[in-house]
Amino acid sequence: MTERYANPYLIGVLLGFILLFSFYTMGRGVGSSGTFARIAAAGVDLAVPDHAKEMPYFSRYLSTDRSPLMAWLVFLTLGAGLGGLFSAFISHRIIGEVVRGPSIGVAARLWLSLAGGILSGFAARMANGCTSGQALTGASEMAFGSWVFMFSIFAGAYATAYFFRKEWL
Amino acid sequence: MGPLYKFGWFDFSYSLQIAGLIGFCFGFVLERAGFGNARKLTAIFYLRDFAVLKVMFTAIVVCMMGLLYFSVFGWIDLSRVYILPTYIWPQIVGGLVLGIGFVMGGYCPTTSVVATVSGKLDGLVFTGGMILGAFIFAELFPLLKGFYETGSMGPVRLSDVFKIHSGLVALLVCLMAVGAYWVVEKVEQRFGDRETLPGGSSRIKRTAAAVLILMGLILAIVNPDQMAAQRATAGPVGPVKKSEPMETKAPKAEKPASSGFQIVEDEGC
Repeated sequence: MTERYANPYLIGVLLGFILLFSFYTMGRGVGSSGTFARIAAAGVDLAVPDHAKEMPYFSRYLSTDRSPLMAWLVFLTLGAGLGGLFSAFISHRIIGEVVRGPSIGVAARLWLSLAGGILSGFAARMANGCTSGQALTGASEMAFGSWVFMFSIFAGAYATAYFFRKEWL
Repeated sequence: MGPLYKFGWFDFSYSLQIAGLIGFCFGFVLERAGFGNARKLTAIFYLRDFAVLKVMFTAIVVCMMGLLYFSVFGWIDLSRVYILPTYIWPQIVGGLVLGIGFVMGGYCPTTSVVATVSGKLDGLVFTGGMILGAFIFAELFPLLKGFYETGSMGPVRLSDVFKIHSGLVALLVCLMAVGAYWVVEKVEQRFGDRETLPGGSSRIKRTAAAVLILMGLILAIVNPDQMAAQRATAGPVGPVKKSEPMETKAPKAEKPASSGFQIVEDEGC
């Protein structure tokens, strides 16, 4: 039996203090989409190193002599995976499944998940951040663009939610 | 005085360990809230469960006020905190597309990691999609470069744009958050499933809202910007007292910092 989820306000307060700790120690907030760009850069570098050096966007990750994966955000994302694993484990929520609504098949759900992932990965690079790196971090330091970004996320999602209702409801 | 890293308290390799620790806590609380489940996350877009908004706004308000109070007490130098620069058009378009990706795929970048580790295959596929998306962006970057740099406004904050001091912004954000909580709770009661929504007494909620607004009000009166400016012009009297333990530590940490790692790139996400 899986446990009930925690109260969102309590989680919000805890998350706020975690963010504050990050600002106090590092002078920056959290983030994770940069990790996936770095993984992509490392992958291209491994497969076709010459091409990777020519790619103007990835060369920023490859210009140092360190591996593009030796980065602060990558370790943060690794930690997030471990923390999530620990929490899911103690609440018996590690279940192999495909999360979907009752009126969509597994294959359709996975294709939509892939497409959503591609859009998100692309958009996060466009905006230099994601829900955590831009919206959470930027909004708490009152960065103007991050507030605009956060409301744009909600606008984009609410505007198109109708078309994906069969996936979730 | 914080941020500790910018004052050379520790070097790059130690900062990676801190990243792991922060990440662990981050992932842990996200999973606690149920953010490893796409149906829980996307329920916000069908007005059934506003946990995403509650967590985000609460975290933002707590961290924002924490930063301002730390600044007032002289515990953190906000001028050394990396402020994300504004590129208004790419951020609007990126936000809209990320929102579409969110409701289509069911996750956002960090929550997909949490979903993956708790065994959700769709989370793993989403994560793979993100790597692919970043690759596509990098391949198309020569074409997108012009747009990527439009609307550059530098590291501006709400207080710069609206020309009011940041304490006042904090109060307005608190009021907005409390208003949003009130609205979404009403909506949840109408459309949500009472079985799965977490309860909580309304008296505690009202008290917490009052405390939040009061703390914002204090900031609006105190004016943290002016306090920070005064501290900067008053010279190192205040900070030096605070940084005495730092001075004993600094030389030790400075060496690897100067030879090995320099803070050259600060990236957002």
